Amino acid sequence: MSSAPEMKGNAEINNSKWLDAHYDPVANLYTFSSCIALADLHGDGENKLVVGDLGTGSCNMKLKVYRGTGLMSENTLLDLPTGLVAFLMDQHEPRTPAIAVASGPFIYVYKNLRPYFKFTLPPLDVNALEQDVWNQAREDMIDPLSLKEMLDGIRDKADIPLSVRSLRFLMLDPQDMEAFVNLYKEQPIRRQTVITCISTLKKNMADEDAVSCLVIGTESKDVYILDPEAFTILSKMSLPSAPTQMDVTGQFDVEFRITVACRNGNIYILRRDSQKPKYCIELSSHPVGLVRIGKNVVVGCAQETLQGFTQKGKKLWTVCLPAPVTTMGVMDLPTRGFQAVLVGLANCEVHLYRDKNLVSTIKTPDVVTSICFGRYGREDGTLIMTTKGGGLIVKILKRTAVIDDKDAAPGPPLAQSIRLNVPKKTKLYVDQTMRERENAVAMHRAFQMDLSRLRLAAARAYVKALESSLTPMSSSLSEPLKMNAVVQGLGPSFKLTLNIQNTAACRPVMNLAISFLYDESLYSMRTAFFKIPLLVPGLNYPIDTFVECLSDKGISDIIKVFVLREGKSAPLLTAHINMPVSEGLPLN
Amino acid sequence: MEVPMDPLFLAWSYFRRRKFQLCSDICSKVLEDSPYDQAAWSLKTRAVTEMVYIDEVEVDQEGIAEMTLDESSIAQVARPGTSLRLPGTSHGVGPTPAIRPMTQSGRPITGFVRPSTQSGRPGTMEQAIRTPRTAHTARPVTSASGRFVRLGTASMLTNPEGPFINLSRLNLAKYAQKPNLSRTLFEYIFHHENDVKNALDLAALATENAQFKDWWWKVQLGKCYYRLGLYRESEKQFRSALNQQEMVDVYLYLAKVYQRLDQPITALNLFKQGLDHFPGEVTLLTGIARIHEEMNNITSATEYYKDVLKQDNTHVEAIACIGSNHFYTDQPEIALRFYRRLLQMGVYNCQLYNNLGLCCFYAQQYDMTLSSFERALALVANDEEQADVWYNIGHVAVGIGDLTLAYQCFKLALAFNNDHAEAYNNLAVLELRKGRIEQSKAFLQTAASLAPHMYEPHFNYSTLSDKIGDLQSSYTAALRSEDAFPEHVDTQQILKHLRQHFAVL
Repeated sequence: MSSAPEMKGNAEINNSKWLDAHYDPVANLYTFSSCIALADLHGDGENKLVVGDLGTGSCNMKLKVYRGTGLMSENTLLDLPTGLVAFLMDQHEPRTPAIAVASGPFIYVYKNLRPYFKFTLPPLDVNALEQDVWNQAREDMIDPLSLKEMLDGIRDKADIPLSVRSLRFLMLDPQDMEAFVNLYKEQPIRRQTVITCISTLKKNMADEDAVSCLVIGTESKDVYILDPEAFTILSKMSLPSAPTQMDVTGQFDVEFRITVACRNGNIYILRRDSQKPKYCIELSSHPVGLVRIGKNVVVGCAQETLQGFTQKGKKLWTVCLPAPVTTMGVMDLPTRGFQAVLVGLANCEVHLYRDKNLVSTIKTPDVVTSICFGRYGREDGTLIMTTKGGGLIVKILKRTAVIDDKDAAPGPPLAQSIRLNVPKKTKLYVDQTMRERENAVAMHRAFQMDLSRLRLAAARAYVKALESSLTPMSSSLSEPLKMNAVVQGLGPSFKLTLNIQNTAACRPVMNLAISFLYDESLYSMRTAFFKIPLLVPGLNYPIDTFVECLSDKGISDIIKVFVLREGKSAPLLTAHINMPVSEGLPLN
Repeated sequence: MEVPMDPLFLAWSYFRRRKFQLCSDICSKVLEDSPYDQAAWSLKTRAVTEMVYIDEVEVDQEGIAEMTLDESSIAQVARPGTSLRLPGTSHGVGPTPAIRPMTQSGRPITGFVRPSTQSGRPGTMEQAIRTPRTAHTARPVTSASGRFVRLGTASMLTNPEGPFINLSRLNLAKYAQKPNLSRTLFEYIFHHENDVKNALDLAALATENAQFKDWWWKVQLGKCYYRLGLYRESEKQFRSALNQQEMVDVYLYLAKVYQRLDQPITALNLFKQGLDHFPGEVTLLTGIARIHEEMNNITSATEYYKDVLKQDNTHVEAIACIGSNHFYTDQPEIALRFYRRLLQMGVYNCQLYNNLGLCCFYAQQYDMTLSSFERALALVANDEEQADVWYNIGHVAVGIGDLTLAYQCFKLALAFNNDHAEAYNNLAVLELRKGRIEQSKAFLQTAASLAPHMYEPHFNYSTLSDKIGDLQSSYTAALRSEDAFPEHVDTQQILKHLRQHFAVL
């Protein structure tokens, strides 16, 4: 914790543009930028923060509303939220926005924080062949095994994929199939898709408080536009790949433009009149964040780059980032006419880019996973971030803050001006080279003679080691093995782990045994000889055994391990284990 | 007729000639005749103590229990240059692991083996209780057992007919009032019997009797508290002793307390304070140099070792440390001079010849290289030393391009020391050159598991996997290499290359 004051010092220098309004490191808020919105839910002129909390990913999914620094309300969600938007659905007074939470194939609409409507995506076409097969199963014309075979065949060939039920059936063990078929055969087959992203589109007016349609992207590669009051599908467009992020601008009745980042790494731009995408941007890596500034699209890529494009898909610029992008958000201050992109990075920083210029950097105590900028409470320029560890950070842009357009990125790297510390050659060295130059022949002869002697000595020692198999690895062609031993424990009981590995390319080794040699007055072993299983090449086989130390005198000895082959008297390999001193006394 | 010498005088003479066993035998005889002879009793306690005496200042080893169950640490992330626990937090002037090998704790290896240099603070319990804890390089469970059990407890082994003094029957209060007997008795209890609790009782009573005016008893109290792990109490006693009497010993004890409390800066200040009173004191200078070395500040450590040599030009530790530092800063010819000086002083062992051989090789004095290694091989005392010598010969063989010899040498190193991670790593590289990828992979994995602090096996594994197309293993290995050595440029390059590869569609 001693580093805390230091960090504050840094923060004061770097973030002089921002006021630290609130930081709760244990807010228990796990969410992404798509599930966070600011809205005046009660029409009292005070904006609340609405968050779709992902909880642990399997339970505790909540719709949370914050007011000021406190939690105002909490609704339980049935499934993981994939997107959350606030939108005005009618002209009634008071003009309070509704909240739409997308999860699974449903959109749950809340008004006044009460459930109001549930929209379900239209079911997809079912494969006719599959339908046929299940019909036969219902009339008990085929048994489960042939059903499985036929479904398998359909799965491989058909262009319409199988339903979830058939896929689940194909995963089952043969004995469970009968029960599964009996349970589900009476019910009709349905194929349902899920929502991947959600956004809003103004219906026919560009005002701030105009009625908006919902725009949703689905896993079945479609984009739907929904009517705000009746929740009927106004328009349907299809994409070549599943959408992941979406940005919408314009009005539905006049002209609009939907920019969709897709899972195949392309960005498609859809327009009002066409069912198919108008433009396509092919990226070199996956898009992580997508933000529109005016008429330009800014994309954060997995390759640690930020790229700018025109709305027709022409590339404008690329900036390299110091760390991977975690999330992106737009910072829009209409009162000052200022628009910029907020980029959350994995190195605990949030960068503010205006076009390709880095204008400001915010250091955060944790990695930021979601960013939202807008009016919160009664303050216009509020930046809300949640962190990977579940924290909530609220910062307010100072009214006096001046954000100049100059690039804050540093100049040439510091390393250029650091001189290498190369030690100087000493006089002694020069003297020695003189000696070398004068006595070159004698030195060379002496060295060569010593070298031959040493080669002989090494070869002798090597042969001796090989003959008695002293080395912990054997390089014989039939059993290339390697062993190393680890001792664990404080004593008097030790655990001996032998790691044995077959280093051959493809041949297994069999019929091996291990035996130990030790001082029986000092150690005892439960099994000093045992067989080891077949060794598959490339895998490490840890073999455990236990050793008891019998002495209390604080002395230790070597235990020798031999790997033996059936029918051979010489060991294949040997390892010497230096036993540690036993710290404990044996129990009687 | 021969007049026999007074037996007590004879015993005293033996004692002064350090023939403690003879001295103790004569005293025993005297005590049999007159059991209440205080002089003989006192002399015998001293002789018996001297037999097992070990320097209390030098012997210091943090046990597993103290390190892993350390609850007194408040700041998990220490400020740079204020802690001995995280060697990475020093000023960063030390050499990189590419030039000077690291120990498990992340400190560069030193030129002189001391109890505290053997292995540093282990990262996990797993590491703490693993094999390197053998009889040679053992880390005890707690500092209360360990070395003291092994070296100090003579009473269990040597006296079959029972201990010389039965501590449980001793009236400590009575002895505490006799200043001429109490000191020898204390040293006997503390060093010979290793019974810190009784020693503490005696010291407490004695210091009370001396009206808290005797610095010697305060130091002994401090020593007892230190052994019991009550560092703050022992600090108080040493400080109070220093106020009464300036002693070099007390400065050393106090600095030891501060090092154990992980306050190296306070210890350094204390040493400097001590140097004001005892200018040029070698032990104090050595203490400063050791702390600098442990904090990875090799340049200042070398400065202080040089100061030591100005006072005492036969100081083996200083010569060895300066020598190894010169060797690792690319000046082997100067290192050669220092090691030769050690040889002239009569240090004659395997390690020295090994170092001489390496220095000769790197200083291009080829005629002396191999003969030094031959002598080192002739002088080896155990298998580990032999493994190290073969490993270094292997390096020379790699240097002259004789890969067959190098292969044999590394294998021999492994035959003598099965846990030689460096040899495994180098052998893997040689196997890779021969095109035996499976073997090479297995050796690298072994090297990495034996020495997770080394970056080389991880990096080699990463390049190997990269070559055979296993990018995922390559990436994880490169990450581990980065952990071990964050500044390694080649690792950074391979990581960058892999990340690019992963991000591209």
